[in-house]
This record gives sequence, C-alpha cells and structure tokens, in this order.
Amino acid sequence: MTHEAHRPPEKKKVHTYCYQCVAGPDLLDVQVEDDTATQIQPNFEAADVSPVGGKVCVKAYGLIQKMYNPHRILSPMKRTNPTKGRDENPDFIPISWDEALDTIAEKIKEIKASGGVDDSGYPRIAASFGGGGTSTYYMGTFPAFLKAIAPIDFGFGSGQGVKCYHSEHLYGEYWHRAFIVAPDTPNCDYILSFGMNIEASGGVCGVKRHADARDRGIKRVQIEPHLSQTGATSAEWVPIRPKTDPAFMFALLNVLLHEQRENLDLPFLKSRTGSPYLVAPNGFFLRDPKTDKPLVYDLKTGQAVPFDTVDTDLALEGHFVVSGSERGADQDRWEHQDIKVTTAFEHLLEHIKPYTPLWASRVCDIDNKIIRRIALEFLQHARIGETTVIDGRTLPLRPVAVVLGKTVNNGWGGYQCCWARTLLACLVGGLEVPGGTLGTTVRLNRPASDRNLSVHPSADGFMDYPLNPTDEEHWLARPDVRNANRTLVPLVANSPWSQALGPTHLAWMQQVKGPDNWPQATPPDLWFVYRTNPAISFWDTNHVVKTMATFPFTVCFAYTADETNHMADILLPDCTDLEGLQLIRLGGTKFIEQFWDVQGFALRQPVAEPQGDSRDFTWITTELAKRSGLLESYNEALNHGAVGISLKSDIYDHSLDITKEHTVEAIWEAVCQSASAEMSAGKEHQGLDYYRKNGYRFIPFERIKWYLTPTMEDLGLRYEMPYQEQLTRVGTQLGRRLHSRGISWWDEQLEEYHALPDMMDFPGIWEQALERNFKINIDDYPFWLITSRSMQYAWGGNASIQIIHEVSKNIRTHGGLVMNTDRAHELGLEDGDRVEIRSPLSATRGIVVTRQGIRPDTVMLMGQFDHWATPFARDFAMPSMNSLVPMLLDLTDSSGSGADLARVSISKLRGEA
Amino acid sequence: MTRYVMVADINRCVGCQTCTAACKHTNATAPGVQWRKVLDFETGRFPNVHRAFIPVGCNHCLDAPCADVCPTTATQKRPDGIVTINYDTCIGCAYCIEACPYQARERVDIPNRAYGTRVQMKHEQRVEHLERRAVAQKCTFCVDRVDFGLANGLIPGIDPEATPACVNACIADALSFGDIEDENSNVAELLRSHEYFRMHEELDIGSGFYYLWTPRK
Repeated sequence: MTHEAHRPPEKKKVHTYCYQCVAGPDLLDVQVEDDTATQIQPNFEAADVSPVGGKVCVKAYGLIQKMYNPHRILSPMKRTNPTKGRDENPDFIPISWDEALDTIAEKIKEIKASGGVDDSGYPRIAASFGGGGTSTYYMGTFPAFLKAIAPIDFGFGSGQGVKCYHSEHLYGEYWHRAFIVAPDTPNCDYILSFGMNIEASGGVCGVKRHADARDRGIKRVQIEPHLSQTGATSAEWVPIRPKTDPAFMFALLNVLLHEQRENLDLPFLKSRTGSPYLVAPNGFFLRDPKTDKPLVYDLKTGQAVPFDTVDTDLALEGHFVVSGSERGADQDRWEHQDIKVTTAFEHLLEHIKPYTPLWASRVCDIDNKIIRRIALEFLQHARIGETTVIDGRTLPLRPVAVVLGKTVNNGWGGYQCCWARTLLACLVGGLEVPGGTLGTTVRLNRPASDRNLSVHPSADGFMDYPLNPTDEEHWLARPDVRNANRTLVPLVANSPWSQALGPTHLAWMQQVKGPDNWPQATPPDLWFVYRTNPAISFWDTNHVVKTMATFPFTVCFAYTADETNHMADILLPDCTDLEGLQLIRLGGTKFIEQFWDVQGFALRQPVAEPQGDSRDFTWITTELAKRSGLLESYNEALNHGAVGISLKSDIYDHSLDITKEHTVEAIWEAVCQSASAEMSAGKEHQGLDYYRKNGYRFIPFERIKWYLTPTMEDLGLRYEMPYQEQLTRVGTQLGRRLHSRGISWWDEQLEEYHALPDMMDFPGIWEQALERNFKINIDDYPFWLITSRSMQYAWGGNASIQIIHEVSKNIRTHGGLVMNTDRAHELGLEDGDRVEIRSPLSATRGIVVTRQGIRPDTVMLMGQFDHWATPFARDFAMPSMNSLVPMLLDLTDSSGSGADLARVSISKLRGEA
Repeated sequence: MTRYVMVADINRCVGCQTCTAACKHTNATAPGVQWRKVLDFETGRFPNVHRAFIPVGCNHCLDAPCADVCPTTATQKRPDGIVTINYDTCIGCAYCIEACPYQARERVDIPNRAYGTRVQMKHEQRVEHLERRAVAQKCTFCVDRVDFGLANGLIPGIDPEATPACVNACIADALSFGDIEDENSNVAELLRSHEYFRMHEELDIGSGFYYLWTPRK
C-alpha cells in the first residue's frame, strides 16, 4: 500500500442551507472528507439564531445521494428524435456547452427580434419553475436573465393553483396580509385544523413549534377525512366527509353568533372590522354623500356618521332610518333619503342563521354535538379580554387559531372556508394577535421582506389592496399570458407571483381547445423548465404530457431524466444543491411557520467539486446572457436587485460594470458585500469569504413584527370582514366586461362575488360536473379520492433518491391506495391486493393499504408519483391521483383554483397477488 | 455509575424519519438497514382510531438476551449500559437476532450500494464498513461519538459531538439521550416530568429505551 492510502482523510464541515421546500430554508452542515461529501448534519453553530436549533428535516439527508446519484445527467444533451411523446425515445446525445448555449441564445435572439409576443398577444417565451417559489433559491442569477428576456409566460403551472393553498393565498393577503395563514403556535392553546397537515408540510419550524406546544398541553382538533400525521399527533380526530368543511365552519359561526353573541369580542368587531358599516338597499355600503366614506350608526348621537368619526359608540346590530349615497359597480350611484338600513353584522347574523350544527351534521357526517362542543371550546379557550406584552407593547392575547389545509382552502368552497376562518378569528378578536391566527408573509403585496410595511390605508378604512382593475377603462381585456390571471382574477394582483396564482390549468386546457371569444391559444416558442415536473405533478397528466410534446423548443435544467424533460430539446445539467453558489435572504417571517427572531442572509456553497460537466447556474446564466447579446441588461438587472438585494443604494455601491462579463465569484462577492452593507447600515462590507466561513449573517427581527395588530392600531385600520362590498363591486364589473365581449364561460365563477359567501352543495359540484362532462352515473364511482402530503417527498423533487424512498416506506401510507380496512373487506379486498383505481377520466393501478384511519367512503393516494421516465422512481409502481383528476372549468373557482378531489371506483385485479 | 439510555417522546414524534436518515448517514448502513427507525402504528377501529409514531432500535438492555445467546461473546455490555458487538469475533450465527425481543439486530451480507451492486457512489466508497459484512449489527448508541465526547470533556446527550446522531437530528426534539443514573441529567428530568413506559417491560430485561407519552406534568 502506498503512503497515500494510509493518509487520514482531510475532514471539514461546510455551511450551507436547504430550501427544497417552502417550509424552509434551514441551515445545515455537510461533512466532507477528501472532497467527498459524506454526511448531512445540523448546523449547531446556528442553534442560537435558528428557530429550530440549526436542524434540517429528512429531505436534506437526500442531498448527498442527489449529488452522487449515478443516474445524473452530467453533460449537456440534445434531442435527436424530432418526434416527441411518452412513447418516443428522445435519443438524447451529449453535446458541448458551447453548442447547447449557442443554440438557446440563437432562439432567444430570434424571439427578441420579433418583439417577444406572438400574434395572440402571448409571450413567446414561457418558463415553469417548481417548489412553490423555492427554485429561485437554487437558480443563482437566472432571475436577472429572465428580466432581460421578458416578457415571459409563467402561467404553465406544474401544480400551482390546483395543488397549493390557492384561495388562502389570495384571500389571506387580501384580508390580513397572509399569503400563508398560521397559528401563533408558541402562544396558542387550541387549534382547529381543517386538513392542514402541518406535521408533514410545516418543515422543521412547523414540527418543532407544534411538538413544543403539545408538550405544554395544547389541544389541536384535526378535522379531515383520513388520519394524517397531523391527525395522529392531535388531541382529537374528526373524520369529516370530503369537501364539507364549509358547512362545519358555518355551523361553528352559527353557534358563536346565535348562541354566544354576548360572549364575543364585541369591541374588536366594532373597532377593528367592518361589522358596524351600514349596508344600503343594493348591497353596497351606505356612504356619506360629501366624503364618500362608509357610514356607521353612532348610538351616542343617534345618527349615521362616517366610519372614522371619533368618540362614538357604534351599533353592531339594529335597523336605522338614515340617508346617504350608495356606490355600486362602474357608474352605478344611488341617493337614499330616510331609508331603513342595518349593519354588515346584522346581515351576517341573518346569513348564518340557517347553518345550525344539526344541519351541518347531516352534510359533514359528524355528530352535531361534536360541532357544538368544538365551537364552545374554541370560544372558551379564546380568553377574550386578556392581554400580553410583546416587545414592550400590550396586545390582546387570544390563544385560539383556525388553520386550513390544501383541498379545503382551494377550489370551490375555498372562499367560504377562508372567509369563515378569518371571521372565526375576528369573532373572538384573535386575528393577528399573540396566540391567534396570523399571516406569515406576503407575495402579492410589496415589500415582501416585511408584511407590516405593505399595509396602507384604503379610503374605506381597510387595508388597501392592489386588485386588478375591472372598470371599463383599466380592465386588461386581452390577457397578457395564457392563464389570463390579471384578466379573470382581480384578487391575484400584479406581482411577480401573480401569474403562478392564476388559473394555471387554463393555460394547459386552452392548448387543445380555447374558450369562446378568447385569443387563440398558442404554444410558447421557447419553454424553460427548472425543478418541476408537470408531466406527473399536474392534473390529467396524460393531457399535459401530450400538450408539452407539441411545444417546439423546450430547455430543461436537468438533474436526471424525468417525465417532463423527456420532451426537451436541450438538457442543461446545472450544479445540484450542494455544488452551487448563491446568497439568499432568510429569517423574519416566511411561510409555512417560519417565524424567526433574526433576519439576514445565508450562503449556499459548493461542498465539493461538481460532478461531471455540470455547471453553476450563475455561470450558465451569464453565458446565456452574453451569447444572447443581453449582457448589459442582465447586469443592470443584477445591479437593481434581481437576485434579492440591490447592489447599489444610498449607503453603499457594489454595483457591477454592466459592460463586462463577470465571474460567478465576482457576482456573488458583490451580492455578499451588499448584504453586509445593508445589514450594517453601510458600515461593513464583508464579502464571499465571510459567508463561506460563517455560512450566514443576521440582524435582529423584532417579534412584534410577527403580528399585524400594532400596524393596524397605529394606522387606525379595520379588517375587511365580514362583508365583502369591494369584491362584490369588482366582481359585478368583471361580469359586465366579460359579457360585453360575449364571454359567458366564467359565469359560475362570477357567482362567488357575493358580499357574504353562499353556502353550496360542494361535494355535489364535483359529482354533477363529472356526470355532466363524462356522461357517467356518479354512483358507479363510489369513493372520494383524496391525497396527502409526504414529509419525505413534498416539494423535494427527490423521488429518484434511494434513501428518501427507503425511509419513507416506514410511513405505511406511502405503500399504495389507502383504504378503510372494514370497507376493503366488504369488497373482498385485503392489504396488499392489487387494484384498479378508475375515475371518469382514466384508470391506474396500485396496491391496497388497509387502515382504520380513513373514512369508509374515502380512499387516499399520497404525494405525486406515477413516474415512467425518472430512473429509480419509475420502478415504484406507486399510483398518483394526478392521472385521474380532470381539468374542468366547472371545477374552477373564481380565484382560478381547483381542489385535489376525484371520484373513483376500486376493483380487484384478478390473477394478481 | 453511569447508564446511558434513550428517551423517545411519542407525544412529540411525527414520524418524519429524520432520525432514520441521520443514522444512515452517520453509520453508513446498507440499503434497507435501519438501526434507528420510526414505526407507524394504528390502534382502534374507525372512527375511534389512534395513530402513533414509535422510534425503535436497540434497547441496550441491562440483562441483554442478545448477549446471553452469543456463542463467541462478541456481544458485550459496557459498564455504562451500551451493548456492543465486536465484529471481529462475531461469526454471524444470528442467534442474537432471534433472541432480541425488539427486532433490533440484523445480519447484512450486501454492500452499501444504494443503486444496486454494480454502482458504488463516491461517498459509499469512503464508508464501506466491510467489517460489518456477514456479522450481526445494530444501533450502537453512536458509541464512538459518546467515547469521543467523554475523552474530550463533553457530556453525552448535551454536547452534539458526544450525542447519538438520531438525537442530534430529531427536529421534534422527541429523542433524548443521557445518563439515567444522574438525577440532574436531561433524561432523568424528562422521566420525572412525564408519564412513561418501556416496551416489553414484562420481560424484565432492563430496557434502556423509555417512551414518554403525555404532555409535561
């Protein structure tokens, strides 16, 4: 043996981060021996600043196998089979980086020369990114390049809209700057969780906060059709019938409003909500003719006064004879003299009156006594009237919260649930206060770094919100992207995130047949794909696969072969998580339950040499910009903060020479220096070396910023609850705009724009839509098919990683189609039997996993599998609901979202074990 | 005296398997071999069902049945309670595997190649652990970390460098490790402040794995 062979390995720890899922980022260390990454470990040096003691979740432990995975694509490739399709071999062959980049650059030059928009008005370049926005934290400077090549259609969803908390994102931001809603878990004593699987989707922060809360005795009631990890760790499981959550929540409101009204937080309702606003005969607020301000009734003076009049005692209930004006949609105006009106709160009482626990029990298949008891427990735990001190300021303490999960807070019924959830918080004064129901971050409002700063007064005394205009003059009549988010969804605002929050399935659906009186659907001339796999992760995956096969030129940043890059023309192997360089912002408050006491920046850095000929994303980007002739605009975008921080401000200047090509290290050096300068008010300028050594840098983030209440109090604002006057107006206007252009296919969605959400037969919407569209008898599909998050896989794009597959199998529900044991036996099925799962759209196969923790009328498939091209994962034989769920306009709500829900039949595959 | 034990709080555990994965990293176990793992249990009948996640592994028993049946004395009990296997003297007879009431032992004849025997990834080449091939193996309570820590003045269960990887990694703080004989230790405090049980208490073999199942008293 040589001396070299006996040399002890050189060991070192490298600081980096994991942001594979939206519940991150988390800091971590990688142990490296002789340039080989061997172990993922917590970063205990960050234990004091990280809310989770420097720990990372199971997904991060897949990163070493991800780096050394033998199935990686390690050089650029090009397709040689021009015919695309699932059954076509792409016949990829390796090519040089020069050839790959020049080919893409030529295409970009050609598109830019044509103006970037096609004859239908749609961007000729499209891009799809996955992971709920987390791909940004791995794509280096690519956002700067995207700015340089704009316009881009980001609307081809890979799950956005149909698999996210869609309605919550929109209504949450609208009502309380809550892109994601979370309990103030550390201070909360009672949580009602409607299908929110926090223990699987909350990441390290979520798990740690709830484990701590359980140890001190919090009560969490989990209301969901199958017993998830969160149900398992809750004090009580209420197995509700799928998609009947709105009924349950309306019944809770009914108990509180009609049995416990005197015990509610009436001061909060009067001063912090629109409850006292008077409603005029046409359904809009009664206003002061001089100032146009909404009127309230002052019991002290016995007259209607503008809402912001001081020294008043506002009426919540009662009928009053008053005068005023009313402003409806467009130019609709009414003047009223001595008319009898009442308050928004009185309208609410009337609206909720029919929805008793007994009524809900029949809808939800839950004993009415349970519903009433839960309503009373919620109220009792609210401790109305108590206060606490945060950062020296006295705030209400309301240790009760309501949270909603996917399929509850999106699709039809999402509006009702989000509204009821926010209203439940308001009734006990528990919105945005310690212990209560909080928002975590904003994505549609700005700035994103601190949601408090996004709060500005509206003329009506609420928070102003950047609704897309629906008036004749300003409405975006011709969609600027294929999912028409700004045209159809006023609530989606107009931020970089808005496109992903439109009706993303519309972009896919239209490619085959567009709706009437609508611009001709066109495929993008160039489609970029990164960290997403819509070929398996969207609905009606057979349709999505066929559609993407028609796209003429697709560029995929590729880690391994997968179902989407099977249709690619060029594959670009970027550095994986542990190989690339990037500085990101973290801390403050971020989704899902990321509540930090610090904020700052963390570095992702190469822990060892990249494998093969994979390249850093920033290198790839800079080369593309240079070869496309866009170097200057790319550098300008970098200087203006396209990667998260401006390189020049009033107090520092680390901007790049826009005429030159800069190395990866030079770019991140400037970003690091700018970050240091921002955090130190221009006093310090540490660069890349500092972050390589330390991994991160933080400054304090005041805990009082976790809550919106101080801002609302300081600005004297009210939450726009319960009465949705503004939404009624914009919805009415949207209807007029659409109808004037002959568009009636959005009429059902328009019906959601009611000031108080209508109760509907939500399960019936699915049943009737399926019967209508597929000419079937719904009784032939007796099971509701639902899905559930996998802690090990969710957002990770890690199905091809062996260790993740191995450890996930310890969770039995990963094994196949989860079915109630007794119901399975009634059908002659045993655990392990192979079955066909058939929906009106399609059929798939899987293995039965019998469990007691699921309703007899419901079956469940976890996660997103059904891989047919991804190495390793294609051998799982694990079915997915995605191939079974149709994309239907009928199942799209006004926010543009749909819910993960299908009806299926189950039959045993004979002759197979 | 010192006795190191593991404490798992099933009121905290969510079955995420981070401990399972961290153990596999630290100990470089072969595919399918999990010295630490979390089971997914259900009891009752719909709708009165309970589901729980139970971390399992070697219980490092005081009166270890695995040691009793070992024909070569490869399995030994240390004075601090940790049950060890001497891979050089183990002959792989598997008596201990049969004797363990916790199904915590395995004999592994395959190499540590996650993607099949023909492919060995770069990091796998560095941590082959040929000494474990064809002999019994199980959770060691990360004894090398414990010993390293003790040699360097660290406290096992408190200082990460001296603490089993599964405990370090646990994101729910459900796993704790320490000296049960020290009344001031972390584990002693946890057992005082929570209701607890041990699996197979009826066997009276002195399991060193305690399960908390209630909120803090």
